[in-house]
Amino acid sequence: MTDYDVLVVGAGIGGMESALKLGDMGYRVLLVEKEASVGGKMILLSKVFPTLDCASCISTPKMAASIHHPNVTTLTYSEVGGITRGSAGRFQAKVTRKARFVNETTCTGCQLCETACTVAVPDQFNADMIQRRAAYIAFPQAVPKKAVIERAGSSPCSYTCPAGIQAHGYVSLIRSGEYEKAFQLVLDATPLVGTLGRACYAPCELECTRGSIEGPLPIRRLKRFIADIHYDKFDGPGIEIPEPNGHKVAIVGTGPAGLTAAWQLARKGYGVKMFEAAPKAGGFLRLAIPAYRLPSEIVEQDIANVTALGVEIATSAPVQDLDSLHEEGYEAVLLATGTPLSTKLGVPGDELDGVLSGVAFLRAVKLGEGIDLADQRVVVIGGGNVAMDTARTARRLGAREVTVVYRRTRSEMPAHHVEADDTEKEGVRFVFQAAPVAVLDDGRGATRGLRCSRMAPAKAGASGRSRPEPVPGSEFEIACEVIIGAIGMAPDTDGFSAQVRTNPNGTLAVDPETLQSGSAWLFAAGDVVSGASDITRATGQGQRAAHMIDRWIRGLQLDGFDLRLPVVDKDQVLARQKAYRLAVPLDPSEVLSAAPTDFREVELPMTEAEAHRGAGLCLDCGVCSECGECVDACPVDDCIDLRARDQVLDVEVGAVVVATGFKLFAADLKPEYGYGTFKNVISGTQMDRLLAPTRPFNTILRPGDGKVPERIAYVLCTGSRDETVGNPLCSRFCCMYSIKQNQLIMGALPIADVTVHYMDIRAPGKRYDEFYEQAKAMGANYVKGRVARITEKENGDLVLRYEDIEHGGGLVEAEYDLVVLAVGVQPNSDAQALFPEGDLAVDEFRYVAETDEDANPGQTSIPGVYVAGAASGAKDIADSILHAGSTVAQVAAYLEHAKVPA
Amino acid sequence: MTTLAPVKPPDQERAFVPRILVFSTNNISDPGIDLAGSSHMTYSPGVVVISMPCTSGIRPSWILHAIEGGFDGVFIASDGDECAYLSDCSTRASRIVAQAQALLQQGGHQPQRLKMAAICSVCAEPFTRHVQQFGQALAELGRSAVAS
Repeated sequence: MTDYDVLVVGAGIGGMESALKLGDMGYRVLLVEKEASVGGKMILLSKVFPTLDCASCISTPKMAASIHHPNVTTLTYSEVGGITRGSAGRFQAKVTRKARFVNETTCTGCQLCETACTVAVPDQFNADMIQRRAAYIAFPQAVPKKAVIERAGSSPCSYTCPAGIQAHGYVSLIRSGEYEKAFQLVLDATPLVGTLGRACYAPCELECTRGSIEGPLPIRRLKRFIADIHYDKFDGPGIEIPEPNGHKVAIVGTGPAGLTAAWQLARKGYGVKMFEAAPKAGGFLRLAIPAYRLPSEIVEQDIANVTALGVEIATSAPVQDLDSLHEEGYEAVLLATGTPLSTKLGVPGDELDGVLSGVAFLRAVKLGEGIDLADQRVVVIGGGNVAMDTARTARRLGAREVTVVYRRTRSEMPAHHVEADDTEKEGVRFVFQAAPVAVLDDGRGATRGLRCSRMAPAKAGASGRSRPEPVPGSEFEIACEVIIGAIGMAPDTDGFSAQVRTNPNGTLAVDPETLQSGSAWLFAAGDVVSGASDITRATGQGQRAAHMIDRWIRGLQLDGFDLRLPVVDKDQVLARQKAYRLAVPLDPSEVLSAAPTDFREVELPMTEAEAHRGAGLCLDCGVCSECGECVDACPVDDCIDLRARDQVLDVEVGAVVVATGFKLFAADLKPEYGYGTFKNVISGTQMDRLLAPTRPFNTILRPGDGKVPERIAYVLCTGSRDETVGNPLCSRFCCMYSIKQNQLIMGALPIADVTVHYMDIRAPGKRYDEFYEQAKAMGANYVKGRVARITEKENGDLVLRYEDIEHGGGLVEAEYDLVVLAVGVQPNSDAQALFPEGDLAVDEFRYVAETDEDANPGQTSIPGVYVAGAASGAKDIADSILHAGSTVAQVAAYLEHAKVPA
Repeated sequence: MTTLAPVKPPDQERAFVPRILVFSTNNISDPGIDLAGSSHMTYSPGVVVISMPCTSGIRPSWILHAIEGGFDGVFIASDGDECAYLSDCSTRASRIVAQAQALLQQGGHQPQRLKMAAICSVCAEPFTRHVQQFGQALAELGRSAVAS
């Protein structure tokens, strides 16, 4: 618990002024700002009216003072929540210091991370007119000048990847042309880059936010693209071999789980030896997945990544005795033996010649055992991916007729839908809702056909999925010479029962978090634990096992594997930009034949142009893509840490100043003006940015086509004094800032015509009306009458319709190059959210209520809580500073009064 | 005090580009100078900027050291009256400039090799103008006694 005299929420001009004056009086102040820099809206303005002084020059000294003042502690990128009244009239508050992922003390503000960052998002400090990086310093005058890495959460693709691959990261690196870095980023998770680039079922693409627009990004094929480029240049992983750490680990099984674990451990310096029962390493990658989907050379290239780090692989070396392996000096042993056994058909005749299992069939083909199915008729039983692989392989071996028999409907097939479609396109026939009853004997011990029964869906069983039932009297026969059963796979774990408990289905019972068995040195991962799954899940388990084995050997607690942030909300991603252009989805580029004859890859590689276009569609859901470029670019050791997390501070304060400011009216709520639709209709804030010294384009231009505008119109009272949008109030400063902008535009663009469509010009106060007269004298044209509608011409010019009140009231249309909507003020509801007990009263316009506005400005409904600046209603800069001053006096009086003994 | 990295001997064939050391301040003049760069404004490649918290922290001996280390001039981009630390920052800074100029003179260097101007946080254009004019003045003065 940390103590302060006053908590000031919001470091705009009102909040900074309050904090500095209270600090000068000797109070200890905590100033909390939610953005990465103090300064609020004022620092982003061009000039201030009516003096035309530089806003930045007035703000920066106050900003600098607010972080250097000895009595003021300023926390930026932090949010206050839960202010409650505690004992003795003091307040308790929770301050969340949002993770910046950059060490605020050691960051030098050099901006190298910003230059290296591969993600661009709309720049809120330039009113979304240009993009900024995910790693950014808010603006050149930011105080503190420290970088922030914006992470809205995990991107859905990266979050969902069972293999733990930073999908968003490699996509953003490809977009930046950093192919090798993209490859290395995938290598951080697994050595199987080429394999996953081809054979992965891409759960990432199912989660892609772009999927709700015109279709997901080709995330998997992008991975294949970078793998192809890498393997063209390198034979191995292209990384340095790590120093051995002296520890030895044995891995049994060389499938995706085993290879990934070996890779991860070898990268940490472990001496790893792998044992494979089959004559070739790679498990199902090498021995089951057909070459037209995954060529054997690709698997071998991926395996070469692992062996390049010194991992030994013994093939034809089944492990019988785990204990003696452990005693040979392997400190830990990982079982990753997968599911090599096939489930038998279990019908009469399944022992006949011509009846095979899918796994055995695929393995024989991959090992080149010369199977010829020329002119044969083949029936494949099952609806999973193995069944599809089997059927398509049989077609390639010359089978005259291939039929897939599956007991449920097409939509219930566990096979990936693309696999099923491709299988059908290759001339395979499907028989749904049918199950084998018996294999028919040709009388010489071989198969002559399969008798099947029609199946009807039955009620859902205990497992939740309906178990089909045979329809009585519906039996039929399919004539065939070969029957291949692909109805299930099981692990082969009998030999390990002495060291590790097995489940009834034969899988190993290990801790699902740590993958550790009852014998502490023995771990298990992949399908041997989970039952038949897929490559990505096995890869992820291999990674987890390696992490846990490393920690176990180092004597650390077995945790810290999953460091993902919560997944980002897709609606929030889509709301980030006003509109998305529909893009034509990339062609899948598969070459499918109705009668395939060879095992050439069916999918073509992506061209570089396709890869750029594909990666360029990314919406950067999580903002930061976790590509790691900033970490590499940062010259300070350990300054950037993507594992940082939000921290919550508990503070106790004597009084609170709410200085949360205002929100600007969202001009798209007046659709008749076309804001957000017509590119050359901009808001007053955007014009102020175009005029500011730190302006984005270094000149005034219209966003639609970059033309320098010659005819500029202002529409005053956009969202103010307008019952149709529920705001009857005058926003008080739109007239004046418009007049200011008029003068600045005429100074910058001497040939431009400026016309202002107004209801009344409100210019009260010292030098304000003179300022208005000055603009008129400079040539600005002021036209009374509210604009009814704006339409856009094909060339981007805009037509305004209004009633010309001063000249007879007729309807007039006028054409402009650029229209500026003088948007007004809206209350900021953040203020109320600060007080969870709901006791901060607001007025009928939802601004923070000043309960005794005339006599005691700044006082709210809660004793000890005060409001400063525009949080209590529209105020210009000068009025905000004045109001903050009066609030400061109230706060001081309150704090001093509290000291007086009752 | 550490010695400055050796400055490469000027190429006699090329036009003389005076080397200018600029002292800026973290919060006020540095953002202004930074803005000149990020707005793609042009200023001499001979300008090197060192940022520090407050102008009044400069030691007169540093300026002599810079000139003797091979810089042709030193430009102090001061906070003016906008210093966040000291209300009398300008007064102190002008005292430092007077002392430094005296040191330069004692060391046989022209006091015109030191110049100071207030640069605000968006004073990109004034900054480029100042260093350009200063560069011209230094070109007329010629190389510093040490460098030539």
